[in-house]
Amino acid sequence: MSDLVTAANAAAALLGAALVFYAVFAGADFGVGVWIAESRLRGRGGHQLSLLRAMGPVWETNHIWLIVVIVTLFTAFPSAFAALFIALLVPLVLLLLGITVRGAAFAYWHYGESLPRRLPATVETLAVASLLTPFFMGMAVTSPAAGTIRLVQGEVVTGAWESWTSGFTLMGGLTALGICAYLTPIYMTVRTAGETREGFRRRGIAGALTLGVLTTATLPVAWRSAPDFFAELTSPVPLAFVAAAVILGITALGDLWIKQYRAAQLTAAATVTTTIGGFLAALYPDLILGQMSIQEAAAPRSTLIAYLVTLALGSLILVPSLAYLYYTYRGNPDPELPPNPTNHESGDEPPATEEPESDESR
Amino acid sequence: MTTELAARALMGMSLGFHIVYAALGIGIPLLLLLAEGISLKTGDEDYHRMARGWARTSAVLFAIGAVSGTALSFELGFLFPYFMDAAGPMIGLPFTMEGFAFFLEAIFLGLYLYGEKRLSRRALFLATIPIAVGSAASAVFVISVNAWMNSPEGFATLTAGSLADGIASVNPLDAMTTSAWPHMAVHGTIASYVAAGLAVAGFYAWSLLRNRSPLRDGNRPYDRKAMTLSLGVATAVIPLMAVSGHLSAQSLADDQPRKLAAMEAHFETREGAPLILGGIPNPDTGEVALGIPIPRGLSLLAHNDPNAAVTGLEDFPRDTWPNTLVVHWSFDAMVLMWLAMMGAAAWFWIDRIRRRESSPDRRLLKAIVGVSPLGMLAIEAGWFVTEFGRQPFIVREYMRVSEAVTPREGIWLVLLVFFAVYSALTVMLIWLLLRATISPAPAAADTSEPAGPKTQSQEGDRS
Repeated sequence: MSDLVTAANAAAALLGAALVFYAVFAGADFGVGVWIAESRLRGRGGHQLSLLRAMGPVWETNHIWLIVVIVTLFTAFPSAFAALFIALLVPLVLLLLGITVRGAAFAYWHYGESLPRRLPATVETLAVASLLTPFFMGMAVTSPAAGTIRLVQGEVVTGAWESWTSGFTLMGGLTALGICAYLTPIYMTVRTAGETREGFRRRGIAGALTLGVLTTATLPVAWRSAPDFFAELTSPVPLAFVAAAVILGITALGDLWIKQYRAAQLTAAATVTTTIGGFLAALYPDLILGQMSIQEAAAPRSTLIAYLVTLALGSLILVPSLAYLYYTYRGNPDPELPPNPTNHESGDEPPATEEPESDESR
Repeated sequence: MTTELAARALMGMSLGFHIVYAALGIGIPLLLLLAEGISLKTGDEDYHRMARGWARTSAVLFAIGAVSGTALSFELGFLFPYFMDAAGPMIGLPFTMEGFAFFLEAIFLGLYLYGEKRLSRRALFLATIPIAVGSAASAVFVISVNAWMNSPEGFATLTAGSLADGIASVNPLDAMTTSAWPHMAVHGTIASYVAAGLAVAGFYAWSLLRNRSPLRDGNRPYDRKAMTLSLGVATAVIPLMAVSGHLSAQSLADDQPRKLAAMEAHFETREGAPLILGGIPNPDTGEVALGIPIPRGLSLLAHNDPNAAVTGLEDFPRDTWPNTLVVHWSFDAMVLMWLAMMGAAAWFWIDRIRRRESSPDRRLLKAIVGVSPLGMLAIEAGWFVTEFGRQPFIVREYMRVSEAVTPREGIWLVLLVFFAVYSALTVMLIWLLLRATISPAPAAADTSEPAGPKTQSQEGDRS
């Protein structure tokens, strides 16, 4: 037990937690782009405006969980950080491009809302970038488990492409995209009413079924393409996570079915948490499976302690601030309107985004 | 193009791009805080409208700052992985703290920028405080990292004098609080107030010159208030820049004499060293062509003693000299820009005190427009001084850039792609900002209210 509770393991747990928070919060922001792409492809307006408005006040905050992941990785596990950032250069550049373009497209779209002429194609650009970013993120995050990265004496010896491309990482990319698409409509059901809510409910069910199929299909692919990871996944603790993810996923689907939206939101987030938790539990005690362990990659103890203390103190400010943010922007996705979902819907706008702001806030 | 050069170019371009948004992200929140505070205290609605107008534009600028800042943390990893491997344990602590400051800033920005309809006026004002504090704190923390690269402390290496084989021990608090930190943190952070204050003041001076308020209701007192407030912030800080700059240079003389020597194009170690303005330094001959020497000036500035000895570049191995031309000229450009800003600021206040009202004449307005980009350019120049002045090292004396760079090939392609993306983003942003200020206001909203693109929402009577 004593070698389970070490400073390095604590930092690794926080690294995993930050990744989960990023998925559970920022994932829903990327899901916005996924559903906009869907409605564009089907030639319908969908609920684009309410989706875009809902992410406005929170996406930058949600994005910072990624910074926490990166900073934790290089502070607590510098040699793993270096190895991964050499091995995964290509997907990291691609997802960074996605992050940059998505963020700028949103900011320009939002600014353009108040101008007589908007910048063309911001919403389309946002949608494409929101598809690419989680996909490459998923590929990059699953690469350390895929057996595609090999180190010799701490140096990466696998190539720029082979380090991250396999059937398993492809499923990782698709699953990450699935997670984003899954969370967004389910979160939105809590914040809307009437027809809009029904639309999100249906999309949530579609997202849940898709994610279920994707994660299930990942298992045989992992067995073929990443046998070492598959062996780890079928050991007791990861299996417990997998079982929990299955049960929670089915519960979330049931909650959506019987229109228990609040419960669906919580169980959906828990499904994602246990899915990623299962992946990380199978990776433990390694950071790069079979190549570099948490212990080997860990920074000196003094750094780990400083990191953990900073994190504990910082959380005292962070947690109440986050709570205040999400509390303020609860309910109606449009921050310009009061939170309670009233009978006059926002975000039901038909086709175009050119729709002038129906700013009827008395 | 070698990988090292491509990596340096990409990092440099990304930082040069980000630094603009970072500086505005530090400076504008202070202006928001002051404007909302004044409005709350005096009941003058102009100040609140002003702040909300800035908030709209800030939302774009801050978003670009957030994504371009993310790019930097990724680039540190994929361009200089061996640096991060070695330095992560030392620079991780300030980066972690910066993460929290960044969180605080983003959370309350979200509340301030989007919360007009959901928060009280008092809550909006209070939200500007953590934004201003958080953004300044994140600058102070991230500058600590740069300070460590310039004066590395707080660790013991396995191989004497080199980080390449890793570290034997580290004291993260010592690594965070290096001798270079206080000077750099103060100088870099307050420079952002100058840059943002002047940029905003320049905008209002320009709209006064065009005799057209950005609010399009000809509200010239509003423009003057906005200009005076932003110029007030900038001018309060400009003189402090000289003090903090002078103290920084003196600490360089002790801690980083090589960088100081490059800044001053000072080759020969001697007593009573002259201060050379401008000129073309020739590292091969150790002479500066066409420079204007001020006898004993450098000794006086560096050591408060006209006869003091100042270390020249000749005391260092030739292959560790920074590019004297770039460093010297960047430094002189920074000082020159400071003089211009100081002059315009002094002119404005003398004029205002003499005439007892804030209605500057056109020549003065033109001068304010003229100096408005200089705060930002001076930051870029100062950053050139510190970064080029540290070359060829990434961690001074302990690790060269060439030892830190990624073994992967094709970095030039990444450079090309990001150059294209950043250029496109810049062009589009300029297009948007021009749209917002030039085009007429949308016919929407209440006609009795001044509804410009910069103040879209209706203020006042919120039932």
